Amino acid sequence: MLKVGIPRALSYYQYFPAWKVFFEALGAEAVVSPLTNKAIFAAGNSRAVAETCLPVKLFFGHVISLADKCDYMFIPALRSLGRKAYYCSKFIGLPDMTRALVPECPPILDPEIDLNKGRRGLYQTIYSLGSHFSSDKNKIKKAVEQAEKAHLAYRKEMSDRGITPIQALDETHRSEDKSYLEPDVSRGLSIAVIGHQYVIYDDYVNHRLISRLRDMGVRVFTPEMAEQQALDVAMTKLGGAPHWSFEADIVGAGEYYLEGKVDGIISVAVFGCGPDSMMIDMVRHRARGFRTPFLHLSLDEHTSEGGVLTRLEAFLDMVKRRRRVCA
Amino acid sequence: MKTYLGVDVGSVTTKMALLDDQDQLIACTYLRTQGKPISIIQQGLEDIRKQMPPQAEICGVATTGSARYLAGVVLGADSIKNEITSHAVAAMHYVPEVQTVVEIGGQDSKIILIRDGVVVDFGMNTVCAAGTGSFLEHQASRLNMDIEEFGSQALKSKAPVRIAGRCTVFAESDMVHKQQIGHRTEDIVYGLCQALVRNYLNNVALGKEILPPVVFQGGVAFNQGIIKALEEALEVKVIVPPHHELMGAIGAALLLREEIRTDSHKTNFKGFEVSQTDFTVSSFVCKACPNLCEIAQISVDGKVLARWGGRCDLWEGAATG
Repeated sequence: MLKVGIPRALSYYQYFPAWKVFFEALGAEAVVSPLTNKAIFAAGNSRAVAETCLPVKLFFGHVISLADKCDYMFIPALRSLGRKAYYCSKFIGLPDMTRALVPECPPILDPEIDLNKGRRGLYQTIYSLGSHFSSDKNKIKKAVEQAEKAHLAYRKEMSDRGITPIQALDETHRSEDKSYLEPDVSRGLSIAVIGHQYVIYDDYVNHRLISRLRDMGVRVFTPEMAEQQALDVAMTKLGGAPHWSFEADIVGAGEYYLEGKVDGIISVAVFGCGPDSMMIDMVRHRARGFRTPFLHLSLDEHTSEGGVLTRLEAFLDMVKRRRRVCA
Repeated sequence: MKTYLGVDVGSVTTKMALLDDQDQLIACTYLRTQGKPISIIQQGLEDIRKQMPPQAEICGVATTGSARYLAGVVLGADSIKNEITSHAVAAMHYVPEVQTVVEIGGQDSKIILIRDGVVVDFGMNTVCAAGTGSFLEHQASRLNMDIEEFGSQALKSKAPVRIAGRCTVFAESDMVHKQQIGHRTEDIVYGLCQALVRNYLNNVALGKEILPPVVFQGGVAFNQGIIKALEEALEVKVIVPPHHELMGAIGAALLLREEIRTDSHKTNFKGFEVSQTDFTVSSFVCKACPNLCEIAQISVDGKVLARWGGRCDLWEGAATG
């Protein structure tokens, strides 16, 4: 059975269930790299050019860790997921950068996803991707349909049950998390954590932010816990179509949660992210308008755990004291 | 007499403040941490003991600062608080109507916005220590000047030079250049003060609404040059409270008082014997996963009191109890 390597990084958190179903339907096996760890970081960091951001460096580390464990590496070149909405240039160049920096990488499957050009090209792209595994066009079509269904189910499960991708992806979490379903402001604080999935769900990058907050008695809300449509609506309310393909997940999510759903917002971004520097600022600006406490955490490879903890503690103190006064 | 000890162990200095039950400061100490937090905490405790009135009794200990967890374990703290909340509470204690707190310490600097007695926003320096006390100390040592005389030198300046303050390394090359072309030392010194203030306002305080009264605290508030530069930049009078350098410690003690209130509270404080206790620190690399975390541990007589440094709970959990 052919093995397809899927790095546990970047768009993994968004699309893994769809990819897995697609490759399995075509008789291949999806192999995922381990959770980010120091060795993966060190491997990625030693190859990547200095200007790339931490998540991209980690991506290379994940590719390296998979290089001898699969027959193909799946690295889609994500250009655009909607009309005039674009991905960051580092996503677009990901397959090419990988080829240049990780010569030991097995052949890269790099479908170019550019929905700005319409859907026609997409089908051709996916057929040629599928043709590596099957010459039966019907089989490929079925695999695509199954993948789409899996993606929608994954997305719906997160918003229906109020769980994170990590919880949704990890079978072992499936039973325990009913408590996160209904917003209940009366007990403990509700805080929305806003940021790219590969930042807020990679515990190596964010120093276990979400579990720390939960340990501190906070109910955590993340963009995926809202329906995609609700995020898109919130995004449109701000006027103007999004420029970035992931803008609804950040600016839209900020807006969605700011409408009286949480006691505070924590945004998380990695140092040097261009799109975030604009998007986060917009959320910050809106938070001020809503008079909602807002904390931005800027993370980098050397960010100390202590610095994150101090800010979190101070932020929660602030939200609590403020709530006590307002009550 | 019941007293409460606040301890602020920062990266550069360690501060202790002893408050009586009327929240009056009755003993304090201010020491350089010198990278040896435990022995400095022991030394500070000894200082406090010597200053304490004979009938005084310590009924609670609170720690804050970047070594607050370590200090908490060493002393037996009743409360461990972050330094932002501590500073805010102390500022409100001395200047109840305060709206903006500027705190510049050794390795980090903060801005805290307070409206109607509640913290509404705060900011801290992010990835760089350029706008902090260590920036000044570093430049002072390049000028062969004691940091203590830095402020009085700065006030002599009549024509300050402009120095890039964004980055300590660039500031240094800028400063050397100005020295080489013959600018006076006091003008360079005040230029550095202005650079620090500019950096602070453009980074830490970026986008924050600074309203008076502005309270300036932290060790850097000793520096008259910085006070002047801050007042010029903000165009308001800046209030430097008494004991500005102890505010973190005082705030921690005040927060503790707020928390315990009841008479039945029994403190965890281990007593002044702590000064004589032989704490052993050691570290090892955890090999449980590829992260290879460096775990630091503190122990007394072979009994481990606490462990830190893991990316997971494996060792942290093992230490409690």
